[in-house]
Amino acid sequence: MEKVLLRNIGVPDAHTLASYRSRGGYGPWRTVVESMRPEQLIEEVKASGLRGRGGAGFPTGMKWSFVPKDNPKPKYLVCNADESEPGTFKDRLLIEQDPHAILEGTLMAAYAIQSHTAFIYVRGELSFGASRLERAVEEASEAGYIGKKIFASDYDLDVIVHRGAGAYICGEETALLSSLEGGRGWPKVKPPFPATHGLFGCPTVVNNVETLAALPWIIEHGAAAYAAMGTDKSKGTKLFSVSGHIALPGVYELEMGYPFKKFLDEDCGGVPNGKKLKGVIPGGGSMPVLRPEEIEKVNLDYESVQAAGSLLGSGGVIVMDETTCMVRAAWNIARFYAHESCGQCSPCREGCHWMEKIFHRLEHGEGESSDLDLILNISGNIMGNTICPFGDAAAMPAAAFIKKYRDEFEAHVAEKRCTIKMG
Amino acid sequence: MDPVKITIDGKEVSTTKGKTVIQAAAEVGVAIPHYCYHPKLSIAGNCRMCLVEIEKMPKLQIACNTQVAEGMGVLTQSAKVLAARQAVLEFLLINHPVDCPICDQAGECWLQDYYMQHDRRESRFDLGKVHDRKRTIFGPNIVFDGERCIKCTRCVRFCQEITQTDELTVINRSDHSTIDLFPGAVLDNPLSANVVDICPVGALTDRDFRFKVRVWYLQKTPSICPGCSTGCNISVETYQNRIARFKPRVNEAVNSHWICDEGRYSFHDLAGGERLTTPMIRQEGGLVATTWDKALQAVFSGLKAAKPLAGILSGRNTNEEAFLFAKLVKMIAAESALEVFYQERELTAVQKILMSPDRSPNFRGARDMGVGSDGGFDALLGKIVAGRFAAAYVVGEELVTDAAPPDNVRAALEKLAFLVVQDTRLTETAKLAHVVLPATHFGEKEGTYTNRQGRVQKLNAAVIAPGGALQDSDIFIRLLDLAGARNGFWTPADIFAALAREIPAYGGLDYDSIGDQGIERVAAVAERHDR
Repeated sequence: MEKVLLRNIGVPDAHTLASYRSRGGYGPWRTVVESMRPEQLIEEVKASGLRGRGGAGFPTGMKWSFVPKDNPKPKYLVCNADESEPGTFKDRLLIEQDPHAILEGTLMAAYAIQSHTAFIYVRGELSFGASRLERAVEEASEAGYIGKKIFASDYDLDVIVHRGAGAYICGEETALLSSLEGGRGWPKVKPPFPATHGLFGCPTVVNNVETLAALPWIIEHGAAAYAAMGTDKSKGTKLFSVSGHIALPGVYELEMGYPFKKFLDEDCGGVPNGKKLKGVIPGGGSMPVLRPEEIEKVNLDYESVQAAGSLLGSGGVIVMDETTCMVRAAWNIARFYAHESCGQCSPCREGCHWMEKIFHRLEHGEGESSDLDLILNISGNIMGNTICPFGDAAAMPAAAFIKKYRDEFEAHVAEKRCTIKMG
Repeated sequence: MDPVKITIDGKEVSTTKGKTVIQAAAEVGVAIPHYCYHPKLSIAGNCRMCLVEIEKMPKLQIACNTQVAEGMGVLTQSAKVLAARQAVLEFLLINHPVDCPICDQAGECWLQDYYMQHDRRESRFDLGKVHDRKRTIFGPNIVFDGERCIKCTRCVRFCQEITQTDELTVINRSDHSTIDLFPGAVLDNPLSANVVDICPVGALTDRDFRFKVRVWYLQKTPSICPGCSTGCNISVETYQNRIARFKPRVNEAVNSHWICDEGRYSFHDLAGGERLTTPMIRQEGGLVATTWDKALQAVFSGLKAAKPLAGILSGRNTNEEAFLFAKLVKMIAAESALEVFYQERELTAVQKILMSPDRSPNFRGARDMGVGSDGGFDALLGKIVAGRFAAAYVVGEELVTDAAPPDNVRAALEKLAFLVVQDTRLTETAKLAHVVLPATHFGEKEGTYTNRQGRVQKLNAAVIAPGGALQDSDIFIRLLDLAGARNGFWTPADIFAALAREIPAYGGLDYDSIGDQGIERVAAVAERHDR
């Protein structure tokens, strides 16, 4: 398989303009500006089948086409570089090693919606990555790829790198926009949607780093080449961040539809030290955990993972072997969401902490068996009832851990302690 | 306005495009439970209490942010909706202290009300509650209890959107989210106490009212704020014949949902203090108690003898009283000039949202009734100070300390051959009078006020006047009787009927149709068309 996203990783000085340009960088950008109308670009990306890599998998070209053309307000393109999903570190790799690919994709997306100001919102903790992006913007501006009358066309574009203040919720697109506006990182009620009422009330598109980084390749090689990879509905390639009890953790680029088991056992070297696999989270901390038997026939594409009862999400693969206490793992994840809830909606604000407190007492041998159904009930009461998907992100894993490892929870209640032999 | 047909719980409802489900439901009397939604504030959508089922939509939707669409089917009572409502209430209550016995909001608390309607079960929460700041002073009128707060952000949005003073914000995250003042800010804007009214729970309470009365003992009388001529609609809430608080009443033509703090607390000054309960007459050595018959006879003869007479009516007298006063003075005084107390002051931008520059809620009505002269109140007072009058009849206003410069006023009043003061208290002005008549205040009388815009609105008696005092209108009627006029007036309705016959701007107005929202007088409509 040809690498689309990781094509420049490992190349010496890949983050510099000189290196990027030597490998054809910004050629596709010139092609777009000199020979494509915005509608053509949108059609090309639609034809590629590219879907949003932030987690939801929404078709990128379609998202762009929702931006009204007759709206007199300025339009904004925002690159979501606020990667913070637990177990996910794919965007970080691109930000630090291949910032120009992200930037070139950002320029293209801005051009598609005819935005003249684009923002790259970088997670606050990624200060090294942010400096690389800032340097990339400087270099590209000096080279004339950003600024006034790009490639002697009538198209002007500014790019602003904005550092977040460090909150998981700001990865949610409307919370990101609130934060970018200078307000609290609170998700906004929808409708209206960002496509019509986004940043400062203006039409806005928010695209993930990985989504944007795929654009230069798609323009260079054509939509058909991209669409030729992957499955019927999940096209192209996707990055996976693999961590946990695995021999070869790291960021992998796979063609969509790659067999999950084969990926873990062969590409990633399997579970080390002769231990047995106990569970794996396929799409970042927000997604339901899968038991070993559930991944037997799963392929890594949106549809197949969903059919197995989880979601592909961000592609953050967290592997847990038999030495993992699933009660503790569930508590760990619950604690994260309790801490990161923005506090706006009643169910999420109150429910996440409630679940965390119950998981805590279960893990510490103070729980009762009725606690298990109570958590299932609380998570059900949060699911689907909040402004943004954070509530679902907290509720889904909590319920999945209990449903799939109930015996382990029951054991904690019965023995009043953890009985797992730690590796 | 495009018409839209939707169904709510199976019943067809006609509404208009652009409305939200919660608005369309409210129009047909279906109250969808909510906390954060307020008709005058932006949509926050955070409490999740108004979740309803929309047919063909997989997830429940918040009624406050869902716009109606043709053919939409809304279910507000389905099993799914009721379960979600119960769940939201449970979430809101797990960290709530449930300290109702010592909470001032008890009895008018939306947590209590909705709990009784939609939850009614034992708590399933047996873990440590989150603690927050208690009895935190936010401003001169407002105290905050963080543990009772449900973070609906109505108060924050009020200060951002209505007063635009931005004192409040949400700080911290997740279950430690709480409301706080911005550093250095004090919640002391002129409309600050409205945040208490819109707080659905006991988080923001009124420092003036709190711990005075349990709200279920309050008797509520719809009336008009006596603070200024805006004429904000209020509910006068009383306990054991004392005014305990004012609350705003919604009137979109006047004050919307709000009242200002000055008006809200104005009853302390206007209804407080030691009351006069017996008429007094000046003899050697000072004022001595007398009977009503003797006092009124003295007033009648005194006014008849001295001329010219200056008649000053309070800005808080009703139209009916002003009508009688004008009649009376013109009948018994050969030479007279009449005025209603009126003085203006500068207002800030935030004050101007509601307040008028005066403190005379019915100056416009009084003038309509003929209580007015060339040059206005200041000119008349100037003439009194200049010694141009032999007598004065002052109703319900403290001229000595409230009008400037006070020393000149006092000296002028002392020189008068005859001074009648009709008031609720022995004011500095009353101390100079030859006859003092104990009367009633705004909270004790029925009648009408005409606000600055020309809207005629109804006052109702909320408390009973002390024995010995007479209603201002009764005093005027008895003096008119002495003068030989037999009008047959007994009630404010009788008087209003008479003034509607005699005053063209009030022609055709019917006392009963004023209702609790008021009606525009004829001239007000004309004046608006002129503009």
